[in-house]
Amino acid sequence: MRSVIPRGVAVVVGCLITVGVTLAADLDEVRRRGELVWAADQEGGGPHVFPDPADPRRITGFEVELADLIAGELGVKARFQQGQWDRLPLLLDQSADCVINGIELTPERRRDYGCSRPYFGYALQLLGRRGSPPATFADLAAAGPSGPWRVGVLTSSAAETELRSRAASGELHVEVIGYDGTLDSLEQVQSGVLDAAVMDDCIFTFYADRFAGLRTIDRPFAGGLYTVLTSKATPELVAAIDAALGRLIANGQLKSLYDRWDLAGRQQMLMLRDAAEIPPARRRSLGELVRQTVPLLLSSAGMTVLLSCAAFPLAIAVGLAVAIGRLHGPAWLRPLLTGYVEMLRGTPLMLQLYAIFFLLPKIGLALPALVAAILGLALNYSAYESEIYRAGLKAVPLGQFEAALSLGLTKWQALRHVLVPQAVRIVMPPVTNDFIALFKDTSVCSAITVIELTKRYSVLALSTGRIVELALVTAVLYLAMSWPLSLLSRWFEARLERSAGPTH
Amino acid sequence: MIEVESLTKHRAGLPVLDAVSLRGVDGGVTVLVGPSGGGKSTLLRCLNGLETFEGGGITIAGHRLAVGPHSDVGLHELRRDVGMVFQQFNLFPHLSVLDNVMLAPRAVLKLPANEARSRALDLLNRVGLGSFAAARPATLSGGQQQRVAIARALAMRPRVMLFDEPTSALDPSMTSEVLDVIMDLAKAGQTMVVVTHDHGFAKRAATWVVELVAGRVARQGRAEEIL
Repeated sequence: MRSVIPRGVAVVVGCLITVGVTLAADLDEVRRRGELVWAADQEGGGPHVFPDPADPRRITGFEVELADLIAGELGVKARFQQGQWDRLPLLLDQSADCVINGIELTPERRRDYGCSRPYFGYALQLLGRRGSPPATFADLAAAGPSGPWRVGVLTSSAAETELRSRAASGELHVEVIGYDGTLDSLEQVQSGVLDAAVMDDCIFTFYADRFAGLRTIDRPFAGGLYTVLTSKATPELVAAIDAALGRLIANGQLKSLYDRWDLAGRQQMLMLRDAAEIPPARRRSLGELVRQTVPLLLSSAGMTVLLSCAAFPLAIAVGLAVAIGRLHGPAWLRPLLTGYVEMLRGTPLMLQLYAIFFLLPKIGLALPALVAAILGLALNYSAYESEIYRAGLKAVPLGQFEAALSLGLTKWQALRHVLVPQAVRIVMPPVTNDFIALFKDTSVCSAITVIELTKRYSVLALSTGRIVELALVTAVLYLAMSWPLSLLSRWFEARLERSAGPTH
Repeated sequence: MIEVESLTKHRAGLPVLDAVSLRGVDGGVTVLVGPSGGGKSTLLRCLNGLETFEGGGITIAGHRLAVGPHSDVGLHELRRDVGMVFQQFNLFPHLSVLDNVMLAPRAVLKLPANEARSRALDLLNRVGLGSFAAARPATLSGGQQQRVAIARALAMRPRVMLFDEPTSALDPSMTSEVLDVIMDLAKAGQTMVVVTHDHGFAKRAATWVVELVAGRVARQGRAEEIL
């Protein structure tokens, strides 16, 4: 059963309801449990947290070792909890005691979470293709060869915030495109879809050999500090982690950890020593929140509508053609179409979008994200629609087909004038239902950088800290869009019952 | 115009039609009678290619049907000249009565809309349903639906009309309105083959009667000899 609100939003709302009753585990609870649960995204990659190449069931990375050291200082064991990077903070109220995964210390996070003292200094590095513009960071101030420079970043990272604010102020002439995986933007620079990428320098240093076609452009242009993120509800845990980090810095264990990972331990220690205190950001009033977020949410809702309304007619057309081909096409075609349907139904939409967006450029077919999203949704849903139409066509009595043939109609004329019009009426309710489902599945497109309503919610909720309020606004927007579709579906059903009558 | 030679058809290994030979009467009514399962409907469905067969051959309205799968083009040509009326009417429920009758002239004969419409309205008037042109089939009685089905088949001006138990699905009260239409066609000299259980009708209408029993021609002759 597909619900009206996308799963992401529902989960968020669900866990918010439980926040009030289940307080995050503070130090006593962690000690009693004997485990410090720390969250990270192993898809984020090295050198932070990534699957051990020698044994992919294990994870490794400098933050894995740091988590072990901190847990050891607290007298407990460290236990890893996987999560999606841009939503890791949401795990703090659920299953994790802390997040250790390159979380940048910002005024907003100081306001909304318990932040430990910094444990690492990062620098933001611009990366490009060898031999292609831009040649310097300063080049980004003017438009590129074909309009604004297309620059990829990790969604919700400091790189994204930094670039967007500089683009908004007019300092940089860039279109910022957010990706869910750290290496996605590097792949896309390498395949020519993007002009450049920005990320923490240590990440590119770690992967430079794999992306031999890429190069650093100038020195890093900005930087900041990583913090261990905890819930505001666990002040004793933050204090204990601060003390642990202090001891690890003082006794040289942190420096030697960074040296082992080739992360310039001495330089890091100097940065941590001289790091300035970052004040917490001011909490915005509800009025400010509405003024700042509602226009963005509305425009993203427009993207959701665009994706659905462009993809669904395509899905129906392809689905109907596939259904007719499977029932009435030449014998050699039928197994191919069956394979098409099974392949698209049997693999996740997310994977199909990835294949279209990230793999096609490797064979020289780079599609804009919006086109890839519409194509992916249309192909995926065409498989479901074809099954519905197949059932609809089979539900038309055989006598109808024989009557049409006996009048001298060809098979295709019989399909066009007699079978398909009847099948369309029969399947109208389930097809409308699928439209509502597709409408919500558009949220998956955020995986390939298309910012629709759910993604926008997720980004805004985490950057403003107003998770509940924005979840409600988002849910209302989804309902406002899907409710008319439900009404339409019911209207079709009623009309069908009135007009068709029994077929014989 | 209709000639069936040694027609043999098997279903699940058993003969449904066993070397059936007969000759239809040009401009007359050939009536197929006999017990259920005797092969009457199957023979009729073979005549316009809805069924294939394993032995013998059929010549109908100048078209030849042979053993094995029929070619789509050949069937398309044949069916322009051979109309069929089914026991269950099989009207198209999504189309109005008028559109049911107009569809084949428009789609197959490519008649202009006004010409197809006037032809359809003439036929609907002929079967007494001119005032029902805009109605949906589902709102009509069974007898009315079957008369529309006859008009629909006639709209192609077929040289041969096939009727597969045209009154078996009707209440007795509606049977006569359909039989009257068929009798009118017979008087007008339409070549027809009719499968029926109605011996009264067979006596009135038949020029020639063929009795099929267990897939074989048991008897054939003039109506007064057989019935």
